[in-house]
Amino acid sequence: MTVNESGARILIVDDEPQIRKLLKVALQAHRYVVHEASTGEEGIRQASLVQPELIVLDLGLPDLSGMEVLSRIRSWSAAPIIVLTAKDREEDKIAALDGGADDYVTKPFGMGELVARIRVALRHAAKSTGEPVLRFGELSIDLAQRIVELNGERVKLTPTEYDLLKILASNAGKVVTQRQLLQQVWGEHHDESDSHYLRIYIGHLRKKLEEDSTDPKFIVTEPGIGYRFLSRDS
Amino acid sequence: MNMRKRFGLPGSSYVLITLLVVLMTLLLSWFGLAFDLVNIALIFLFPVLLSAVLWGLRPAFYAAVLGVLAFDFFFVPPTLSFSIADLRYVVSFCVYLSVAALTASLAARLKQQLLFSRQREARTAALYELSKQLSDIADLDSLLDGISRQVLRNVGTEIAIYLANDRRRLDLAYGSARSGGWGHGEAERTIAKWVFEHGEAAGSGTSTLRESPGYYVPLRTEDRVYGVMALLLNDGKNGVAPEDQRLLEAIAGLAASAITRIRLADEAKIAHLTAESERLRTAILDSVSHELRTPLAAIIGSATGLIEGDQLFTSEDRMELLLTIRDGALRMNRLVINLLSMAQLESGMLRLRKNWCDVEDLIGVALSQVRDFRQHRRLRVQLPEAVPMVSGDEVLLEQMLVNIVSNAIKYSPDYSEIVIGVQASDQELTLAVADQGTGLPEDEYARIFEKFYRSPAASRVTGTGLGLAICKGIAELHGGTISAKANVPRGTVVTVTLPLPRQSAPPILSHEGRIEEDDRE
Repeated sequence: MTVNESGARILIVDDEPQIRKLLKVALQAHRYVVHEASTGEEGIRQASLVQPELIVLDLGLPDLSGMEVLSRIRSWSAAPIIVLTAKDREEDKIAALDGGADDYVTKPFGMGELVARIRVALRHAAKSTGEPVLRFGELSIDLAQRIVELNGERVKLTPTEYDLLKILASNAGKVVTQRQLLQQVWGEHHDESDSHYLRIYIGHLRKKLEEDSTDPKFIVTEPGIGYRFLSRDS
Repeated sequence: MNMRKRFGLPGSSYVLITLLVVLMTLLLSWFGLAFDLVNIALIFLFPVLLSAVLWGLRPAFYAAVLGVLAFDFFFVPPTLSFSIADLRYVVSFCVYLSVAALTASLAARLKQQLLFSRQREARTAALYELSKQLSDIADLDSLLDGISRQVLRNVGTEIAIYLANDRRRLDLAYGSARSGGWGHGEAERTIAKWVFEHGEAAGSGTSTLRESPGYYVPLRTEDRVYGVMALLLNDGKNGVAPEDQRLLEAIAGLAASAITRIRLADEAKIAHLTAESERLRTAILDSVSHELRTPLAAIIGSATGLIEGDQLFTSEDRMELLLTIRDGALRMNRLVINLLSMAQLESGMLRLRKNWCDVEDLIGVALSQVRDFRQHRRLRVQLPEAVPMVSGDEVLLEQMLVNIVSNAIKYSPDYSEIVIGVQASDQELTLAVADQGTGLPEDEYARIFEKFYRSPAASRVTGTGLGLAICKGIAELHGGTISAKANVPRGTVVTVTLPLPRQSAPPILSHEGRIEEDDRE
């Protein structure tokens, strides 16, 4: 844990008192400063009042839709937002992620998972201009020279494969939706209907980077949502 | 009637008779000298007989009169005049005319009888065919369809069949006319309602509502009326011929008894289903209450233990209790997910979010889900060189795979091997999960996909009997199948087939808009 993560202000917007209590206890134990809001309106007000460094937002709020709260906060705040959703609401997750949320956690969640997501989001928010070389264990990606090395050996990637890897790796630990990947690699006019391109290139990348592509160490699939590049501590 | 058409229009018969008489007169006057006058008179009987057989009574009379006139004018002296020199010829004319009339009426009656017997034969054949058809039909729609086709072939232009619903109100069950056409209107319904209530025919050709262009006959058995069959007639003014009425009544009777049969079969099916759902409800309550209570008991027990006896436990004990709480909650979570999935599948609320899915990736994700509780079982994946993509809902297919593999893990011993194999043909992709567990008796393999079914052999392992039922639902939503059979030498193979789309995914474009060549060897 780096210094600037400790003591970060986190705003929890959730209508369930039990979940708020649980999050407060657990996050305070990890030395975060926790603020709470039980409705969407209150959440938006608190967000402008306490200027949190990160917001945990439940998508199922009684007064406003989670998407509404998300877009209103996003309209003036760049603080990372992690949304909490139910298991079978893939559409909501994708809409939230494409609408400006940084990550999602599915209820019921393990505390370790949530804290890991919070750390990744805070670290991404704090990071200034990118370092020239990204390192993940035996894998290194030299962004300046477009060179990828695995165990010290150079891996040959096609331009598309490299672009995909770059986007995933520079968002290490964070989920990236299929749409975000398609639009960033292939261009604005591509959407989910082109997702088979993505699957094929991810398949190629895994064959080049992973020892066992049915047990990936770097690029894991979030079914129905997108992909997540695993960093060592997430 | 159809018969009339075979002989052309009624007017044309008179023209033909006239032509024939003229022709005969010409021929006879040519050779006439060779014949006696009596013979000529007899020869003029020929067109009379011919027209009686071909066209009936009136044309025959016409031929007789025309024959007498031609005979008188051209052959009886003085020729080329209607006047008669010898008065005895008047007697000949009378004899000729009465012979003509008699033979004509006999011939015509014979013809009529032939016609009737043919019609009767056609009707009997129609009824026989219908009764044969109806005895094979098991659903109402094709029954009504069969009746309508048979009726329209014989009588009428449009047909509408009304059946009584549970509240004894008539609904239009079948209409040959387009919606809004005959049979859909209020007038037809009103008459049909009258017929239904009184149990007797009405409309054109009957004593009730004879002004109506339709004919309405009740579909009745001895003890009740099931509905009404209504016909729009070709020729509304003349009504329905008595023979057609009898035919229609016979068809209506056949239809009514067929409807009775189908209704009884339906009722028996519903009774069976009710009994089945009763059985299911008991099974659900038993299974769910057990599956909910067991983890709850563990959670509540451990939590209260921790709260009340905080000082009594060593840190290892405390960790043990906490793990019990976590595992119990996870187990309940699985149950809730399964129950919700089942409810969604059953209610038809589940919408497929279809997308191209990489099967290798699906297997990878599913395996990562079960890795934590496989203990020492070896999970081996056998993939062909190239696996085609399937079109489906990633999340559901993953859930299906997780359920199947979890099942394989649950029912096979530790340290055994579980093989996940993939095969692809042109039309379908086959996924097989083979374990080396205890297996099941042959007759149980079909039943394990039933909701809440649990094999007696599996009673020592906890479970709700929902997992494989959900898999079946998901496979079928994708147009695929799922089945299970014994593995050789031991264990079970669960096989899922998923249809492959006729055209495969479009070619891969790089962001420069062309197919990107990989420079791997």
